[in-house]
Amino acid sequence: MTFLRLDNIKKNYGDAAVIKGVSFEAEKGEFVVFVGPSGCGKSTLLRMIAGLEDVSSGELYIDGKEVTYEEPAKREVSMVFQSYALYPHMSVFENMAFGLRMAKKPEAEIKAQVLEAARILQLEALLERKPRALSGGQRQRVAIGRSIVRHPKLFLFDEPLSNLDAELRSQMRVEIAKLHRALGATMVYVTHDQVEAMTLADRIVVLRAGLVEQIGSPTELYDTPANTFVAGFIGSPKMNFINAKVASITGSTLALEHTTFAGGRLTLDTPAAARTKVGAAVTVGLRPEHLTVNTGNPVLALTLDFAESLGGSTQLYARSEGEPIIALTAGRPNLKPGDALTLGIDPSHIYLFDVAGLAL
Amino acid sequence: MRISSGKLLHALGLTAVVIFTLFPFFWMVSASFKTQADILSSPPVWFFTPTLQNYAEIFADTKVSGAIINSLIVATCSTLLAVILGAPAAFALARYEFRGKSDLWFWFISNRMISPIVLALPVYLLAIQTGLLDTHLVLILIYLTFQLPIVVWIVTDQFKSIPADLEQAARLDGADQFTIFRKIYLPLGAPGIAVSAIFSFIFSWNELLYALVLTRRAVQTAPVVATSFMSGYELPWGKIMATGTVIVLPVTIFALIVSRHMVRGLTMGATK
Repeated sequence: MTFLRLDNIKKNYGDAAVIKGVSFEAEKGEFVVFVGPSGCGKSTLLRMIAGLEDVSSGELYIDGKEVTYEEPAKREVSMVFQSYALYPHMSVFENMAFGLRMAKKPEAEIKAQVLEAARILQLEALLERKPRALSGGQRQRVAIGRSIVRHPKLFLFDEPLSNLDAELRSQMRVEIAKLHRALGATMVYVTHDQVEAMTLADRIVVLRAGLVEQIGSPTELYDTPANTFVAGFIGSPKMNFINAKVASITGSTLALEHTTFAGGRLTLDTPAAARTKVGAAVTVGLRPEHLTVNTGNPVLALTLDFAESLGGSTQLYARSEGEPIIALTAGRPNLKPGDALTLGIDPSHIYLFDVAGLAL
Repeated sequence: MRISSGKLLHALGLTAVVIFTLFPFFWMVSASFKTQADILSSPPVWFFTPTLQNYAEIFADTKVSGAIINSLIVATCSTLLAVILGAPAAFALARYEFRGKSDLWFWFISNRMISPIVLALPVYLLAIQTGLLDTHLVLILIYLTFQLPIVVWIVTDQFKSIPADLEQAARLDGADQFTIFRKIYLPLGAPGIAVSAIFSFIFSWNELLYALVLTRRAVQTAPVVATSFMSGYELPWGKIMATGTVIVLPVTIFALIVSRHMVRGLTMGATK
């Protein structure tokens, strides 16, 4: 059942279009992540769902009800802000109780709900403290606690982990995932961090410059990116791109030319051969983790610039005359800078994009 | 320990400033304990037998105690009104966009650009026409016009420093604008409101020009009474200085007490 529906939502500030028509649906209980680079409009979109920003045009539905112009409080959504936005003059208890007090709930119920939320988030010992006496991670938990006490229909998260250090971030990420499972609530989460997006999301919405680039599950986006932007954005380290040219097409066999390829040529058996023509520019995408070092059947012939050992794996930075290439390999290959390096790849892991950047 | 010449100069400069600002105050307080003869002696007398005669005289005079009560009424009422009216105005200026906002803002500031003496005559005529001359109300109203810009100015700035996320979090929590103002902005803006209230109070407590022009007998304020001793053929410096001390003391103590509570950074911990 569709729980959240955005229908051609647009947002303009004066003449500047920030959101240029976003349509999208989410099921009840789904965890949706909006991801994209800074300035892509993901936070604006979230704030429009919350009702904190006016919608310029389009329609917004929550739980079957149109709420495009509804007051924020009446939408029954809660939001965790990037800055946490805790009320600094109130104790943790009062911070969490504020929304319930506004809803004029009886005192006993307020107490029970706040204590329940505090138990889930392990905040019981901190209820009397003021926000300034809390660590970053604790403040984050209070902010989440404040959003869960009211049992909203929809949880919104605006880059909630970006102010935390790396270790705390991964810890809180796991906690948010657990919370989602425990509450079974619909959540919309905004981040620019593709790792957060990949690990938390049931479905990812990739945004760029106010437009949706692709919507899909994390594995769909990873396996079948719709364009070079999504391909480059999802996955770490970033996908390698080689701007090659089609040398010949024979049936479903496609030959591509580029100096980086071993022998200057890459021959592939692919249905995409039918969708391009000789002489056309084709971008070849190769994920660093799919590249294998010095195996038979080399695809790329390169010179090693340098290698970074990550302990269990090694990141290789190599180049030919053309583009730099990054490869990620298990173990510690015995290579020095300046060594010749050949990289192979399973042909099913080769991505092809046309001149406009769309997947072939 | 070696003290660098720069530090020494700095200390000397500071000492000069302190003496410059505190000497008149010292002169007033010490003179209030002197006899008229000691005050007028030349060269000045630095060591003298203190006398409470001046204080006894001014407190025996109901004019002085009445004037202090008048001052209290006028200063307290005008300060309260300035805060009650100014804080919501500051909230609007800090948080909403509306047409004419910058003009309104400029108008508030421009009120402070006019020399008060320029308006003294028109205000006097207005007071006569409306029958408000020599009432508490006329002083409260005229002081309000000077205090409101101070309050609006300081409190707007304070409110602007409160993160907008807090207001939005409260909106999502179901708070209406008035609740947001009362539960979020007032407590967090308290330091700024306190500062503006102190400035307002001190302004109306010390104000002389309009108090002189707009009062006769009934509502003379303390500064007016202090200067009223100067009329006639003698200048009772001891009484004038004693009255001055009595006027200055309450605000000084008040300011010292509240200054410790004017701790900024109440918003620390709200964000990040």
